[in-house]
This record gives sequence, C-alpha cells and structure tokens, in this order.
Amino acid sequence: MSVLIRRRPVTVSRVVVVAVLIGAAVATIAPFFWLAVSSLKTEADIFASPLALLKAPTLANYASLFKQFHFAIATLNSIAISLGVVVISVGLGGLAAYGFSRYPFTGSRVLLSGLLITRMVTPAALVVPLYLIMNALGLLNTLISIILGIAVLNLPFVIWVLRPFFDALPREIEEAGLVDGLSPFGVFLRIAVRLAAPGLVTVALLSFIAGWTDLLFPMSFATTPEATPLTSGLLQMQTGYKIYWGSLMAGGVYLTLPTLILSFALQKYLIRGLRLGY
Amino acid sequence: MRQAVRNLPPPVAGEGRGGGVGSLAQVPGRVRLRSRRLTGFGLALPALIFVFAFMVYPVVSLVVLSFQEYAPLRSTATTFAGLANYVWLAGSDLVHQSIWVTVVFTAASVAVEMAIGLAIAVLLAKLVVQLRSQPGRLLTRLLGGVFILPFATPAIAGAIAWKTLLNPQFGPVDAIFHTDIAWFAQFPLASVIVADAWKMMPFVLFLMFAAILSIEPEQYEAARLDGANGWQEFRYLTFPLILPVVAVTAAFRAVDAFTKIFDTVFVTTGGGPATDTQVFPLLIWRTTFDYLNFGHASALAVVAIIVSALLGASLLAIRRASST
Repeated sequence: MSVLIRRRPVTVSRVVVVAVLIGAAVATIAPFFWLAVSSLKTEADIFASPLALLKAPTLANYASLFKQFHFAIATLNSIAISLGVVVISVGLGGLAAYGFSRYPFTGSRVLLSGLLITRMVTPAALVVPLYLIMNALGLLNTLISIILGIAVLNLPFVIWVLRPFFDALPREIEEAGLVDGLSPFGVFLRIAVRLAAPGLVTVALLSFIAGWTDLLFPMSFATTPEATPLTSGLLQMQTGYKIYWGSLMAGGVYLTLPTLILSFALQKYLIRGLRLGY
Repeated sequence: MRQAVRNLPPPVAGEGRGGGVGSLAQVPGRVRLRSRRLTGFGLALPALIFVFAFMVYPVVSLVVLSFQEYAPLRSTATTFAGLANYVWLAGSDLVHQSIWVTVVFTAASVAVEMAIGLAIAVLLAKLVVQLRSQPGRLLTRLLGGVFILPFATPAIAGAIAWKTLLNPQFGPVDAIFHTDIAWFAQFPLASVIVADAWKMMPFVLFLMFAAILSIEPEQYEAARLDGANGWQEFRYLTFPLILPVVAVTAAFRAVDAFTKIFDTVFVTTGGGPATDTQVFPLLIWRTTFDYLNFGHASALAVVAIIVSALLGASLLAIRRASST
C-alpha cells in the first residue's frame, strides 16, 4: 500500500497540508514563546513597545522571584508536594489496580465504576469539607494537607489507567512466581511492577504534573510562605493594587519549564497516558 | 476486547502446573476462591481506605453541613437550618447566572477544541501516511512535540501567557491589529474560552490522531480507487469510523470543563468583570473563602457533586455503549 501512495506525485494539496500544520504549530507555541521572550525584558521594555524585539535580555525578573517572592522555598515545596502525590497515587493506586485486575472480588466492578465517578467530582466542591477537616486536624498551612487533597483526586485516575496495563500482562510469569512460593504481594512487587513499568512511569509522570501544577489546594489550604508552592506563589504577584508583570511572566516560565522538559523527554508516556486516561 | 480480558478467570495460587488457566478456575476450591477474593480486597484496601477518609467521608459531612448554617463572620455557632441553604440557592440570581456561564463556557470551549483538534489530527495523519522518508518522520515528530506543549503547560502559566497576549497596554494582539481592546474586560467569556481551548486542544488532537491512524489503510485505497477527494474521504470514511471516539472525547471534555474549570478563570478575570465569568467552581470557592459562608457553599458543592456524579455515570454509559 505504501507503493501505491509513493507513486502519487507531490501535489499542491500536500504543500497546503504542511503549510497549514506549520501555521497551526506556530499559533500553538506563540503564547508560551511570547511569555518566555517578554520575561527576559525589563519591566520598562515590556511596557515600551509590544512588538519590539528583545534588545538586551536580562534575568532580572527571574532574580526578583527569589529575592521578593520566596521562590527558593516555593520550589522545594512544589517538589515535595509533587513527590508526595506520586508516592501516594502510584503506591496505593498500583496495589489497587493490580488487585482489581488479577483478583476481582465481590463488588469490585461496582467499586471501579464508583471510582470513575469520583474522578468527576468538582475539586472546588471537595475543598469545602476538606478545609474544615484539615482545620480540625490542625493540618492547615502544611504540605501534608495539600498532598492529601491532590492525591485523593488523582488516585482514582491512576487506578483507572493502570488496571488495563495489568490486564494486558501475560499471566504465565506471575503464575510461575506463585508456584515458586511467592505471596501475591511478592508477585506484585517482584514481577508485576517490573512488567508494568511503562504504565507505572506514565502514571508517575502524570501524578507529578498533577502535583506540580495544582493551584486550588495550595491557595485554599496554605497562606504562609513556608507551605506555599510555586503555583499559589504566583498569585502574590497580582494584588489588587499592582501587577508585577515582569515577575509574573518569569514565574510562569519558571513553573512551566520542568513540566515541559519532562513532557518532551517522556512524550511517549504522556501521550499514552492521555489516551488511556479517558 | 477489553471485556474479554476482564472475564478471563484469574490465576489460582499453587495450581499453575496442570493444564491452562481456564481449567483451574472451573473447579476452584472453596477456600482458595475465598482467599483469592480476600487477596484482591486486601490489595485494594489501602486505596479504598484513603478514598473513604478523604473523599467519601468529606462528601457525607458536606451533605450534613448543607443543612446547617455556619458563617464564621457572623457567628461561630453551627445551627440547623433545614432547607434554607437550598432555598437560597434556588432563588439566587448569582447562582443562576453562574450555572448559565458555566454551560456556555463548556459548550463553546468543547466545540472549539473539537473542531481545531480534529482538523489538525486529520492533517497530521495525512502527513504521517504520506511522508515515510526520514525528514518526513522527523517533521511529524517535531509537530507532535509542538502540539503537546499547551497540554504540558500548567493552567496557571497558560493563563498568565494569555493575560499578557491580550493585555491592552502591551499585548501583541492589540498591537498587531492596531486595536485598543481590553479583551478580558470587554469580551471576558470569549477570551477565557480561547485560553482554555488552547490549553485542552492537544488532548482532543492526540485522541483523534490515534483513532484515525487505527483505520485500515485498505479502506482509503478503496475510496481512492472510487475517485473520492480529500473532503469526501473525510466525510464518508474517516469521520463515520472515528465517530464513537469523537463522541466519547467530547463527552469527557465536556464533563471535565464543566466540573474543573477554575485556574484559567481565577487568574485571568477572577470571575469578573462583576460576576460575568463566575463559573460554578469559582462561585463555590468564593462563597467559601471570600464570603466565609460554609452553609451556602456546602449546598452549592452538593449540587456540583450531584451534577458531576450524574455526568460521570452517563459518561460511563456512553463509554460502554461506544466500546461494544
């Protein structure tokens, strides 16, 4: 069939297809590209002329993030939150997905359907009671409260994505493990986890991004700089009186770069997760 | 197919030596069957406890709270309020407006995403099939990397980017068109829709792309031999074949947009001007944290959860219907 296609001459239509796609690609990166370029201008240059090119790039806006807006501690907080979400979601979710896949029990299908429905819960609705619970537990202004909130919304998604992965694994190897005297948990830990590694990488990546990008829980649960990650840290730059445009742009780029690098490096996994996740 | 996999009997401990898996499960020992089920339950238990503690219990307490009055600004006491919060909700113009704004946002945003995502997916698939040379593959990989970018951008960063682009003082959009429009103030809902559609378009694109590539090439050959042009090929071959995926994707995106839109609106318009873009999740949040009226907020949240559960259940039904 490729022979048939190759024989077709290079037509005008193909040129049009490529041109339209490149145009769409430029439009797609334009907003972020613009943000990145503007973040390297001084605040005076940002306001001077919108379409002026970058004359003297400066990292002053990035420096201001650390000097004025506590970005050093916010970065550490973001990393801690993301890792916490990964550990809880992949740990608990991996075990549960494996259980649902290999050892279905009475009611497990109902539970799985229930889990899909909990994925649809409006996060802002869950924040209301969770805030009161965290308050009662004395966990407000801690990273723990933020991690718990993000993880509980992420966990059903992880189970939903991982279960088909375990379903698709050949059973023979795991059975051999059972015959050799491993417990089901041992089989999970020593055999299934390795075989399902691509799936686990996918959900770990998506969980990390979920923790890194979440704004709702940090802005609801934490008001002190000690517990504020990058996302809600960005909100300090737009107060009712003044918007610190330079810092805001630099902060937006700073927040985006790790997820961009991760997504490009693990693009295959990201697209797979995106396809399995719905 | 997935159904078939799910129905395969699970392996039984210690019985792997004899025949196939099927023969094992036909005569399972009563004790083994029970222990097998306990194993599954045991593996799922930590996750279930976690979800019950931080999702189910909070939602139950939310329902209780929605029948109470608790507004720390007025009084620290929690008093039984009957249906008062729900009566307020039913009669409040603020709530009606918010629901309407959310519906319009969802419909428009999903329509834009689907149209653009599908168009790019069709073209990209054409390119992948046509260009089998090395530079051709490189080009499609590069384009794939570019199109995933908005999806990899945190919502708050995307919102900052759009706020910059559409700024009337120094935004390039107004400069290019020689206009002086404060987009987020004068066309707030349309601007928010554009920002959200940009962010979520890749999701649609890659699902559609995968669906199109899974169509048998022979079918296109047949269409070509019949003399179909590009549009006819799409209209009578590609689109009908991927329609189930289109339906599920649109339904999924609609549920997601309706229940989760928050960051983009909060950062760009803050729900304004006035309450013109106050989508439902934002209304809940403001009622909780700005007005500190937990009774009203709980009633709103209960409504949101009921709606999301109904939408989730119907999504499950659509998914089942389209996969069989």
